Amino acid sequence: MAANTMTAKGALVGGLWTEVPVLRLILGMCPTLAVTAAVKPALTMGLSVLFVLICSNIVVSLMRDLLKPHLRILMFTLTIATFVTIADLFLRAFTPQMSEVLGPYVPLIIVNCIIIARAESCASKNGIFVSAVDAISMGIGFTIVLCILASIRELLATGTIFDIPIMWKSFVPWAAMRLPVGAFITLGLMLGFVNLLTAKKS
Amino acid sequence: MLKIIKEYMEKSWLLIVSAFVFGLLLALTNTAWSGKIEQNKIDKLNGLMGSLITDANKFELAIKDAEIDLGKGKIARSDIYEATASDGNTAGFCFRAEGTGFADKIELVIAVDAAFDKIIGYSVLASNETPGFGDQITGDYFRKQFMGAPVGTLNLLKKGDNTKVDNDIIAISGATVSSTAVVNIFNNYLEQMKKQVAEKGLIK
Repeated sequence: MAANTMTAKGALVGGLWTEVPVLRLILGMCPTLAVTAAVKPALTMGLSVLFVLICSNIVVSLMRDLLKPHLRILMFTLTIATFVTIADLFLRAFTPQMSEVLGPYVPLIIVNCIIIARAESCASKNGIFVSAVDAISMGIGFTIVLCILASIRELLATGTIFDIPIMWKSFVPWAAMRLPVGAFITLGLMLGFVNLLTAKKS
Repeated sequence: MLKIIKEYMEKSWLLIVSAFVFGLLLALTNTAWSGKIEQNKIDKLNGLMGSLITDANKFELAIKDAEIDLGKGKIARSDIYEATASDGNTAGFCFRAEGTGFADKIELVIAVDAAFDKIIGYSVLASNETPGFGDQITGDYFRKQFMGAPVGTLNLLKKGDNTKVDNDIIAISGATVSSTAVVNIFNNYLEQMKKQVAEKGLIK
């Protein structure tokens, strides 16, 4: 059995600040760039990743003593794929319009680096409680970043947030913010801002 | 031999057990929600068909799995629905049609009149075309050109009068591939669908 390497407090702070997946570890770029044109799909994607992270971290933590080195990645993928399929079926059954908006990006959570990384670096080495805290903090950290990014893009692209008009009447929408270029520019500025904050503190 | 089997089982029992448990979990989840997922698809199709043929009060399956030859050995299958108006007369026909767009497959619901002579219109069932450009296939500028156009070969032009209803469709500026894809879908499906509806005796 691998030695415990994390505390619950460390896991909580890690996911929400020191190791925020998108801004600090630069993981999960694919959904970050693809589904943040509006807040609703970004929030749905964030919650889907949160669900899969919690379930997969708990299951991997439960089976950590049984994991053989040659089966490790295979077991992670099998576990993650199961919960991603459940999340996908849930969206198709209860929020079909959102499922269509997200398109292939929900099934693609199977290969999301954040989830595989947490299974490998945390859940396979720690108990259920620490693994669950790690999953919750990482999932919430990821969701918050996605929502902030999507809020900026939606506001500038359409003048709305959650489809509610926010900007003044004469505001001219920036169509480019709906396109991938808008995602790259906004994410780049957010990364720069966080790096600036970190640099000042250190 | 037994030794090999024993070694194999020792190394992989966790994977086999997990695959069985996860498979069972997925089967149960799918059983619980598949009815709702199917109903959502039917509701969406009915909603789109209803928005295209507004005077219809019911849609019935007229031809199941009508075959469409897309060329190069590709065959597509699509159901044809007959729309019935409140007076009992046929209000038109609807069917799903698909083709390759700029980014991904484009799926349309196409409606034609009771004589299969004129296009009533189309709605986009699924599309991942570029936001701001190709996704304008869902917009009025492009869609209205098809409303009332004759069933036959449609031509895509880069410039022209988009308010004139005829076989000429004016492309969306900056989205020629998506515009071509929609016109190709119509050209692939319309006449072949009409032929099969006529063979069934549903049109005179």
